[in-house]
Amino acid sequence: MKRLVIAVLFSLFLLPLASIVFAAGGAGPDKSMMKGVITKINPESGTIVLQKDATGELKTLIIGEKVKPETIRLNKKVLVMLDHDAGENVVKDISIMFMDMTLKKLLSLLTIGLVGGILSGFIGSGGAFVLTPAMMSLGAPGAVAVASNMCHKFPKAMIGTYKRWKYGQVDLKLAATMATTAIIGVQIGVMIQKYILNKWGNDGSNLYVSAMFVIVLVLVGGYVAYDAYKLSKGGKDKTEQTASTLALAMQKINIPPMMNFKVAKVRISAWVTIPVGLATGMLAATIAVGGFIGVPGMIYVIGASAMVASATELGIAFIMGLWGSIQWGLSGLIDIRLSVLLLATSLIGVQVGALGTTYVKDYVIKITMAATMLIVAVSRGALLPGYLAKFGLVGQISPSTAAFLESLSFWALVAALGTAGFISTGAMVKGMIADRQEAKLNIIAEADRA
Amino acid sequence: MATQQNKTKPYLSTVIFGAISISFYVLLFTNEKLVTETFTRGGIYTLYPVGTAFLFSFIHGAFASNLLSVLGIEAKKK
Repeated sequence: MKRLVIAVLFSLFLLPLASIVFAAGGAGPDKSMMKGVITKINPESGTIVLQKDATGELKTLIIGEKVKPETIRLNKKVLVMLDHDAGENVVKDISIMFMDMTLKKLLSLLTIGLVGGILSGFIGSGGAFVLTPAMMSLGAPGAVAVASNMCHKFPKAMIGTYKRWKYGQVDLKLAATMATTAIIGVQIGVMIQKYILNKWGNDGSNLYVSAMFVIVLVLVGGYVAYDAYKLSKGGKDKTEQTASTLALAMQKINIPPMMNFKVAKVRISAWVTIPVGLATGMLAATIAVGGFIGVPGMIYVIGASAMVASATELGIAFIMGLWGSIQWGLSGLIDIRLSVLLLATSLIGVQVGALGTTYVKDYVIKITMAATMLIVAVSRGALLPGYLAKFGLVGQISPSTAAFLESLSFWALVAALGTAGFISTGAMVKGMIADRQEAKLNIIAEADRA
Repeated sequence: MATQQNKTKPYLSTVIFGAISISFYVLLFTNEKLVTETFTRGGIYTLYPVGTAFLFSFIHGAFASNLLSVLGIEAKKK
């Protein structure tokens, strides 16, 4: 049976591996997206000449109506999106690939890196929901922001996994099993994302991502909040809760291959872990926070504790982040400066968050996760009317309402990060103080005995 | 707590890893243009950003771990 499991997992792993070989062989980025340097602008004919990145080929492109004039800059590497609906070689959007790094941007990246790191170490995922939009607001094109975040996520998750594995919280086998299926989920997610971006452009992509965010976060976050509330009221002394009814039912399904997860203390059919892994991957590729599905999935469907699930998620995030980074790297979209600046503080944060879990009870992780998810849902939800209006699905909203919703969205994100940081560090500090007091009492007691 | 205080704190490792880490950052940002251009060429060049991320995580991660030990921020002893 073990051999069968290994064979299934291996073949699942080979599938994406084969695609990387093909991709490296020259598939490159999408046809509607081009990287290169604008060498010439012809205002009379409304065209630009782009020297394409990989081949060096010169291509004359027509400036579309939607292009902002300030983005057309000579001798800067740009990302050009074509508008196939408007005709051949018509440019839809030009974004400067590498923003100029100012002190303000640098400090912003370091700050969000730190808080994102703490959150990651504590609940297994997080930060990306703030990191990606933050990088975009600093001036990185969407695809570069996602790619650079991905390339910062996997080293962070690797360090986090190592730490929490040392604390005995990571189920490596569960992580490997989930990650293998999640990688396939990522592939599907990337395909959907690229399809949407090509077909409906940035507005469509934004609408899709926001809608996904809101639906998933409200449903799952709401349930986690309800569960955490019950636990915090019912049994504060409990260190571990019992598995959910759903998980217990799932564990009774006896379709081979059955898998034993020792750290998670679960025996379950591989066919239960596959959909959870797929969903984690799809979400990770689309909204960069697969953990918001992966962790609750491991808790409520598979039956692991929040402690083990959040730690195991870090392992999954490492493998998936590495995989995703290779994908984005093949298209040449990673701005390594953004990745390493985030890492400067997030590698500290993730270790603080990881060691913090040793001082708190299981339900604190759930509370932190639920609070984060629900506030992020508000943030994304606030943007939905604007995106819907752009698509003509609802009536136009007034500029003042739009401005209000945008600031609500921004402040909700800040609140989400702040709240999560506050709950996790608060619980951690409280735990540390209690632990030190206990240690002191032990010393006094020992001295008395002597 | 008492046992923690008796342990030697990794001051030297913190300084060494910190110095290596800072020099990597300086190296990367002083060659910003070359790095960003080369790292985004796609295809096999993907090894550059991924490799760099690994390298930074080992060096800077080790620095961070040592730094936290020096500051006395450690996991609960079981």
